[in-house]
Amino acid sequence: MVRYQQADAAATTVLIEQLSPQLYRFFAAQLGSPEDAQDMLQDAWLRIHRVRHTYRAGEPLLPWVYAIARCVRVDNYRKRRRIVTRELVMETLPEPAIQTEEVTDLPPFSQLVADLPASQREVLTMLKVNGLSLEEVARATSSSVGSVKQKAHRAYQRLRAVLQPSGAGKGTEA
Amino acid sequence: MNRREVTQGELEHLIDAQELPPLAADRLKQIESAVIADLRPVRPMASDAVYVGAFAGIFIAVCIVSCYLIAGRDGWEALSNLQRPVVFVSLIAIGSLLALSLVRQMRPAAKYTRTTAVFAAGVFILLLAAVALIFQPKQETAFAHDSLVCFRAGMMFAIPTAILFGIVLWRGAALSPALTGATAGGLAGLAGLTVLEIHCPNMNVYHIVVSHLSVVVVCALAGFIFSSVTFSRRWSNH
Repeated sequence: MVRYQQADAAATTVLIEQLSPQLYRFFAAQLGSPEDAQDMLQDAWLRIHRVRHTYRAGEPLLPWVYAIARCVRVDNYRKRRRIVTRELVMETLPEPAIQTEEVTDLPPFSQLVADLPASQREVLTMLKVNGLSLEEVARATSSSVGSVKQKAHRAYQRLRAVLQPSGAGKGTEA
Repeated sequence: MNRREVTQGELEHLIDAQELPPLAADRLKQIESAVIADLRPVRPMASDAVYVGAFAGIFIAVCIVSCYLIAGRDGWEALSNLQRPVVFVSLIAIGSLLALSLVRQMRPAAKYTRTTAVFAAGVFILLLAAVALIFQPKQETAFAHDSLVCFRAGMMFAIPTAILFGIVLWRGAALSPALTGATAGGLAGLAGLTVLEIHCPNMNVYHIVVSHLSVVVVCALAGFIFSSVTFSRRWSNH
């Protein structure tokens, strides 16, 4: 990272190649769409590039990178929401989506976390998909370790509720 | 198909086993070339101590300049032995917390950025409560006029302070511009409030709340709005 700040092209390439797959997983796990995740990855790198001077040598790199990535995700979400709202006003309301996928015993991860609040989904993704520690997630999200633990715990509780046996949770019968 | 009870272990395994589509190689190359095309050396941000020093220096300088521009320290002298430490210790505590929060907000992933700002807001509310307790209401014939004069004087010192803070903040504050603006505005307003507490001899509790303490609130709001527009655009990719 320090060599990236010093404009070392080779070090920059290595850094991008090492961090991009992780960042991509961070976006893809929450968005579900690979195309959107790649667009957001590009946005994240442009933002990282613009604020690279804010990194200080000796500080942990991953929380710094993820703090920027989550900021890009939030900005993008707001932008998309504005566009969707405008489109809804301009056009007729869309027809309800038709459920085409079969309900399996355990649904895929992206479908599972889609029901979680954004903050819980984000914490769970950083912890489980990106493998960050509690301390790193706390720094990246500008919160305390206790708050991260609480969000992760609540996320697990909600996921378990979604996967409850027939009658207890929603959509339990195929 | 009926779903069965899912254990914590199964849930974690499900998350661990999650497979995501791979990242397209051409997109990665595109990112690399975009970044490398604009590659030039940058100077890393200075240490937190340097920025805390800069904010404290500006704050103190504004208070000193006010003593040259406004003759006398009527406010300081009018305060009782109880009021003086309560007011000025609170101002120092709020100022230190806001400066610390501001410095932490300048770089991504710094610890306790929001907590410090919230704590500073808490101390400000305590100051408000303390003012209500230790100052007495008094009848004033020109309450509105006097309040406006003091408010204007407070803003006269707060605005240049905010501009100087903006210059210091220019290289940072990339992630939460609105919060940073509110914090910087609050700190600049606090400089205006300090000047008023040094110079204004009016000890009417309503006057202090309406024309002195409101400088901080108005500056924080103005900073929030201004920074949301300017700093957001500065760091945005779009």
